[in-house]
Amino acid sequence: MPELSTKLRQALSQVQKPGRYTGGEPGSTYKDKEKVDVRMAFCFPDTYEVGMSFLGEKILYELLNRHENWWCERAFMPWTDMKQQMEQLGIPLYCLESKDPLRDFDIVGFTLEYELCYTNILAMLDLSGIPLRAADRDERWPLIIAGGPCVCNAEPMADFFDVMQLGEGEQMLQDICATVETSKKQGWNRQRLLEELAKIPGVYIPSFYNVTYKEDGRIEAVTPNRPGVPARVTKAIVKDMDSFVPPENFVVPMVGAIQDRASVEVLRGCVRGCRFCQAGQIYRPFRERSPQLISESARVLCHNTGYDELSLTSLSTSDHSRLEEILDRLNSWAEADHVSLSLPSLRVDNFSQSMVEKTTKVRKSGLTFAAEAGTQRLRDVINKNVTWEEIERGCNIAFSEGYTSVKLYFMMGLPTETMEDIKGIADTAQKVVDLYYANKNHAKGKGVQVTISVACFVPKPDTPFQFCAQDRREQLREKQRYLLSCVHSKKIKVNYHDSATSVLEGVFAKGDRRLGRVIETAYRHGAFFDTWEEYFDYDRWLEAFRECGIDPDFYNYREIGLDEVTPWDHLDVGVTHAHLVREYQKALRAETTQPCNRQCSGCGANKLLGGPCFDYHSDHV
Amino acid sequence: MTTIRITFEKCGEAAYISLLDLQRVFHRILKRSGLPVYYTQGFNPHIYLSFACPLSLGQESLCESCEVKTEAENPDLEQWKETLQPYMPRGIVITRVAVAVQKIAEIETAVYRITMPATAAPALEEYNAAPSAVVVKKTKRGQKELELKTYLPQIAYTVVPEGVAFDLKLPCGTGEALNLNPSLLLGYLQQNHNIPPWECRVLRTGLYTKTGEEFC
Ligand code: SF4
Repeated sequence: MPELSTKLRQALSQVQKPGRYTGGEPGSTYKDKEKVDVRMAFCFPDTYEVGMSFLGEKILYELLNRHENWWCERAFMPWTDMKQQMEQLGIPLYCLESKDPLRDFDIVGFTLEYELCYTNILAMLDLSGIPLRAADRDERWPLIIAGGPCVCNAEPMADFFDVMQLGEGEQMLQDICATVETSKKQGWNRQRLLEELAKIPGVYIPSFYNVTYKEDGRIEAVTPNRPGVPARVTKAIVKDMDSFVPPENFVVPMVGAIQDRASVEVLRGCVRGCRFCQAGQIYRPFRERSPQLISESARVLCHNTGYDELSLTSLSTSDHSRLEEILDRLNSWAEADHVSLSLPSLRVDNFSQSMVEKTTKVRKSGLTFAAEAGTQRLRDVINKNVTWEEIERGCNIAFSEGYTSVKLYFMMGLPTETMEDIKGIADTAQKVVDLYYANKNHAKGKGVQVTISVACFVPKPDTPFQFCAQDRREQLREKQRYLLSCVHSKKIKVNYHDSATSVLEGVFAKGDRRLGRVIETAYRHGAFFDTWEEYFDYDRWLEAFRECGIDPDFYNYREIGLDEVTPWDHLDVGVTHAHLVREYQKALRAETTQPCNRQCSGCGANKLLGGPCFDYHSDHV
Repeated sequence: MTTIRITFEKCGEAAYISLLDLQRVFHRILKRSGLPVYYTQGFNPHIYLSFACPLSLGQESLCESCEVKTEAENPDLEQWKETLQPYMPRGIVITRVAVAVQKIAEIETAVYRITMPATAAPALEEYNAAPSAVVVKKTKRGQKELELKTYLPQIAYTVVPEGVAFDLKLPCGTGEALNLNPSLLLGYLQQNHNIPPWECRVLRTGLYTKTGEEFC
């Protein structure tokens, strides 16, 4: 075991929860660094607790470490007290396993889960003493790469990364590591390595593309600046979810992670096509994992980690066509192994009695329904195909089962929204309260608590609403006041979050390369941990925009023309532009679109599979 | 009902695992393992689990322990050890699982091996020469002044490759009984002689009962 350095011990003696910075958790991987060919630092640009809850990192950590001659380790953003200690004592950011600084690694990879973590990435590079901009780094520095959902519009961070991965990393990241291994053995320079990496499906090398702008600030074109580079990068996917075994080992955190349990991914993608939802578009097409593989690998995972709780995760677990079979298989061993099951997101529309019975650990007290909009008209606009009758049915089953509190999720600021729709939110909650008291089987002697949770809608790239402008904060505040005035029952609680963070999220989601300077400027002025309310300073950001001469409103408060070149046009996630336009126009007419498992609406993502997504003749729908 | 004591080392990185986190690890693993441990009765049953004199964060130990109860007759304790060890964090090494001989309340003293940089030697000499060394000890009822010299009149150190080292025997009572943490001495040396505590290493080597027997 390596001795902790005196400096590190000094830092650890001064900070809260030092266990976040020491590694050694059960399930972490240790190798002899002298004997490995490729060393990768997998970095999560948020706290240990947040990062350790993400499944993607667990999948890739294990996949890479299955290669005997590669070693993948972890790093997280240190909390402010530790960051300060590290700066004062001159401790560069290190990986938890070997305690070696990031700059000693061959590859430093960041996952881009949400836009507001961008400053943390700069902070982590800076803490490692690594130059922030790709242009300032040659082969003496680690290859700095990115992955994760935000790469679908990678442009605001394009200047900082050598390589970005569009799509799913299972194969892509292994190909990258293999290429880096060859590069080290052959002694390639950075350019040569990048040229080789560009050949890997899904790999995007930002420096290989030039962006030109029109006079009005819109993009004219994004073009490759050398031969052999594709004009559009196509997302990489795992075609067959049974082609690799999901993780059978997790690093088990000791300092409480938010998701501290075993989890197995049952499917990828989503059949629904909600028009506001970016994940529903960028993870297309829908692919299922077989019940047998799910059950077998989950059992091994629970055995290896010692977890006593297993959750089935995905964008929409209850859409798995063989969910009952999965639950039956899991239940055949779970009890004997002392493992309880949980389904994180039950959908109202197929919430059934038998499902409640088969999941032993859906907590009885709390039930959440994502209704998203308050009226049927607006639900049709956003293609959230949930009807009041379905909500009613789901609630009645739940109330009869003893549930006494319901949380309803809504969005505010949706396209075409009127005050009528806002009132609909309060009305829906009131109807749920009335349902409870009308249900004779509700929990004896207990009242009901209905919580309305309202989030601000942020238009995202690759969705039919990418063309829309975001609501201004004044508009949102007015809607919020109106909503409160519509709520008349003490049984209803309203949680509302008006924050400037969603403005910034909207700007970066649809931003272009010119924002890199703004991010760097804001970081230099002290911005990091922007996801944490207590550290987020909107004025500092506005100042950074002013300093760079960039108007943030241009990005989020402006409608995008249907024929406009977007900053993410050259990044192909599978869904075609024509489909997005068609869906947008249907939305304006409040017309719904069938889910993929019922009818294909021709989004184009099936080309990633090389065939149709579903066999509509089978009885599986 | 039999009380079973699980004794383990807590060294290296594991020194930074808090008691709360360690309790969670043990609790989960014991539950998951299906070992026949006793659950408290009542509305919300949980595993009876009691840690003896847990260390402060950053200190290491060769003799940490926790106890559980079992109603099983002749449990195979070697198998308990093998079941639990694979789930332990790095630095936690289970050394023994055995039927408890004494009660936690019988612990009276703890012995620590303290290692300091060579530069600390003059400070230790001064400590030995000083007539008095008063430190402030935090208690549940507030702060209290305490004469270290009552418990630790002289420090007999030896020179070792890492610097200087000595054994420290301190009261380590539970409940109302007196409990002195080696950090009191380290704090004193930091305050009066500028010896940085993070350059010192504290390793608990043994716990002893009133009769001087090793706690087990
Ligand atoms: S191609 Fe059709 S079935 Fe496949 S994801 Fe697109 S709309 Fe759905």
